Amino acid sequence: MSAPHILESVAGHDATADTPTAPPSPAVQVAVPTRRRAPLSWSMRIGLAVLVFYCAVALLSLVWTPFDPLSPGVGEGYMPPSREFLLGTDRLGSDILSRIMAGARYDLGITLVAVTIALVVGTILGTIAGYYGGTVDIVISRCVEVFQAFPGLLFAMLVVKAVGPGVLNIILVMSFIGIPDYLRLSRAEIRSRRNWPYAEAARMVGNRSWQVAFRHLLPNSAGPLLAFTSINAAFVALVTASLGFLGLGLDPNTPEWGSMIARGQDGVMTGEWWLSFFPGLAILGMTGAFYLLGDALSDLTDPRRRR
Amino acid sequence: MSDVLLSVENFSGAFRAADGRLTPVLHDVNFALRTGAITAVVGETGSGKSLTALSILGIQPATFVRTSGRILFEGRDLLTLGATALRAIRGRRISMVFQDARAAMNPVFTVGQQLAEVFRLQHGGSRDAAMAKAIDALRRVSIPEPERRARQYPHEFSGGMAQRAMIAMAALICRPTLLILDEPTTGLDVTIQSEIMELIVELGRSAGLTACLITHDLGVVAETCDAVVVMNAGRVVETGTAEAIFTAPQHAYTRKLLAASLLVPA
Amino acid sequence: MRASDYVVLRTQALRKTYRVAGGRNLVAVDGVDIALHAGETLAIVGESGSGKSTVARCVLRLVEPTGGDIEVNGRSIMQLGSVSLASLYREVQMVFQDPTASLNPRMTVRQVLHEPLRLHLAMERSQREKRALALVDMVGLPAAHLDRYPHELSGGQRQRVGIARAIAAEPNVVILDEPTSSLDVSVRGQILDLLLRLQAELKLAYLFISHDLQVVRHVADRVAVMYLGGIVETGPAEAVFARPTHPYTRALLSAAPVAQWGVKRVRLRLIGEISSPIDPPDACRLVGRCPLEQPSCSRKRPPLLAVDAEHSAACPVVLGHEREAIPGAEALSRRSGGEGGATGARL
Repeated sequence: MSAPHILESVAGHDATADTPTAPPSPAVQVAVPTRRRAPLSWSMRIGLAVLVFYCAVALLSLVWTPFDPLSPGVGEGYMPPSREFLLGTDRLGSDILSRIMAGARYDLGITLVAVTIALVVGTILGTIAGYYGGTVDIVISRCVEVFQAFPGLLFAMLVVKAVGPGVLNIILVMSFIGIPDYLRLSRAEIRSRRNWPYAEAARMVGNRSWQVAFRHLLPNSAGPLLAFTSINAAFVALVTASLGFLGLGLDPNTPEWGSMIARGQDGVMTGEWWLSFFPGLAILGMTGAFYLLGDALSDLTDPRRRR
Repeated sequence: MSDVLLSVENFSGAFRAADGRLTPVLHDVNFALRTGAITAVVGETGSGKSLTALSILGIQPATFVRTSGRILFEGRDLLTLGATALRAIRGRRISMVFQDARAAMNPVFTVGQQLAEVFRLQHGGSRDAAMAKAIDALRRVSIPEPERRARQYPHEFSGGMAQRAMIAMAALICRPTLLILDEPTTGLDVTIQSEIMELIVELGRSAGLTACLITHDLGVVAETCDAVVVMNAGRVVETGTAEAIFTAPQHAYTRKLLAASLLVPA
Repeated sequence: MRASDYVVLRTQALRKTYRVAGGRNLVAVDGVDIALHAGETLAIVGESGSGKSTVARCVLRLVEPTGGDIEVNGRSIMQLGSVSLASLYREVQMVFQDPTASLNPRMTVRQVLHEPLRLHLAMERSQREKRALALVDMVGLPAAHLDRYPHELSGGQRQRVGIARAIAAEPNVVILDEPTSSLDVSVRGQILDLLLRLQAELKLAYLFISHDLQVVRHVADRVAVMYLGGIVETGPAEAVFARPTHPYTRALLSAAPVAQWGVKRVRLRLIGEISSPIDPPDACRLVGRCPLEQPSCSRKRPPLLAVDAEHSAACPVVLGHEREAIPGAEALSRRSGGEGGATGARL
């Protein structure tokens, strides 16, 4: 007997009740899920648009800003928003718009790099801990729990104070804070899927265990991880700005939004509101966009929350 | 006919998608449940059998809309009744046994408490009297040591025992006129399954219960049911007495289903 | 088809226990001997808690056996390390109960089928493509389905993909773990039909795990009935179905509903529900449930006793005390020489 012969006879049977390709009866149509992409939700679109805008501004600031963000005295001190200085000037007469544009490089850059490092390292460790379990899991999980005992901001403050300011240090500290969360999340995701039939089937078709964990299981956990990444990014952006505000992060002259707020806080009482208001607005916009995106992503990836 | 307890007449319905489009799933469904009989509604996945049963109780999914027809119960159209009137009928007049009894019960109350609570809701009376009724109902569905079992939680029950308790609640505590059983033995082992079905038949006979058994298993139907409704893809393809359906099936789908159940050529 | 005497899969005194609270042992599989011959179908029948799935999972080392030995094609697989397990999976494959859960939702049928060809057989892309086409042909799927994702297929089609994946690397043993129990009845027949055709075509030996007696009767050459971790009766399928001997087998057979009018069944009823598998006493597992129980049943766990040449059951009460005990493994490794059972497609 040849294979095509089998095909003929079997395919003949198959056309009866079991093919969604045959003109489906309406009742069957409901039972078979269709692959139609849901239109992007509004929160997703807004979140994405705002973030793209921030990225564009950050890139633009590399080649052009209205004034030099670092040089004082481009105007007089404490000038309110005007045609020349759209968002006003600060105490030293620097242009606030230019500084906010340049600040996007720091706040967005630190956030993105720190979150990426945390995501990659945390997920790799979490996947290993979740898939292999046993001693590996215990060692990894316990190590991480120690760091989790400290609240994020407090930990960041302590470490930055200890190792000193600098962009690289802030990035490392921020990603360090994020790792435990990614680890716990990916560990739980992988654990819940580790004994699923498709994981066992993947093993049986010849995959090594690491291949099962990283090629088969991890991609199926991407949804919840991405959603969390976005929300975590909002948190990282806030803590970065907080460090700047406390004067712990970077050189106080750096056009970082948090330190700009700190520099302008005395103006709040005396009526020069624009000093702190606009950097604050920039932070709010960025964290808000990350939250919107994260919320939309978790809606999209959680079947229970999908409409 | 006077001996018809419930009739589904020209019932059609559809699912409404988020964008408002309707996908028809039930087409002109017609059948009647005779008083005192056990009627099986048989069909495969997507046949619409469960949807029809849920519609009788008014607990169909929110996205399901009726496009035509009515469901008459003791002369009243269930589909036009308001929430309050439906609630009065649900439980007291029509009750339902679900596939997964353990999931259908509240995990934080004991089985006895749940039965007693339902009894008091339906018939009133003191807490102690209701608990006595609950224990009595458990005894009548052959649960050993009913006093001890009544103090246990649903997760301490095996699947078969939980289904017995569910039947005790739906049939003996609620004392309905019509009992709907949605795949009551699916997922249970065959030895347990046959005992549950015997219990259902016995309760039906002794309590004069009208029962509607929703199932995909023709084997269960052959031994227990008086009448059969065969559904496929949202339509009723054949109705008849159980004997007629099994000995002289008319519709090609019925014949195919029978052959497939016995694993013989159609 | 006549099966050969070559044993492709053998378990000896297979045992699996789990530690539970209080330092007690849950005995899932307790001294199971089976021998599966090339090209035959051996069905392990049982209800939940019988340990039938655990046996299957032990054979694939998805569960680590506690004791006993498992040989595949003459080689013990008990010592295989995690890397050399791949060599086991070239010889033994599995079709899962739930075709939806056993397919990675993010992989197309093509990707699913390419994996074993790449990893087990180290095929080039062009070879893989050809072989994948042949495989979907063999399981009766149109070539266009290669580009589909699991959720774009019906349940029966998904199971066909699961079967194609299992046979891709040309194993000689396939473990079928309730392959039709999550499918509609009309699809069930088609899938069994396909499995029987593939068995004849590819000379596969099937270890068929099932609770569905109708299905077992249709496909099995030999049957082993399990209850609470042990085999209580085994023999050629016709013999076991025609002359069930052990009280549990009788109860099981007489409880199975048949979709025919006017079938009168002589029920043998067991009392209550399955007893606890935790630290079971050395007694017949059916003690407390069996209507034929004698005082001697509680004294020692009865061995498999011969009913006739290839048919044996673990019930001295039914078979009479005077019969001599025969080692279970020997009884099982002998195979019926008569009717070969169901190999042709009947549906």
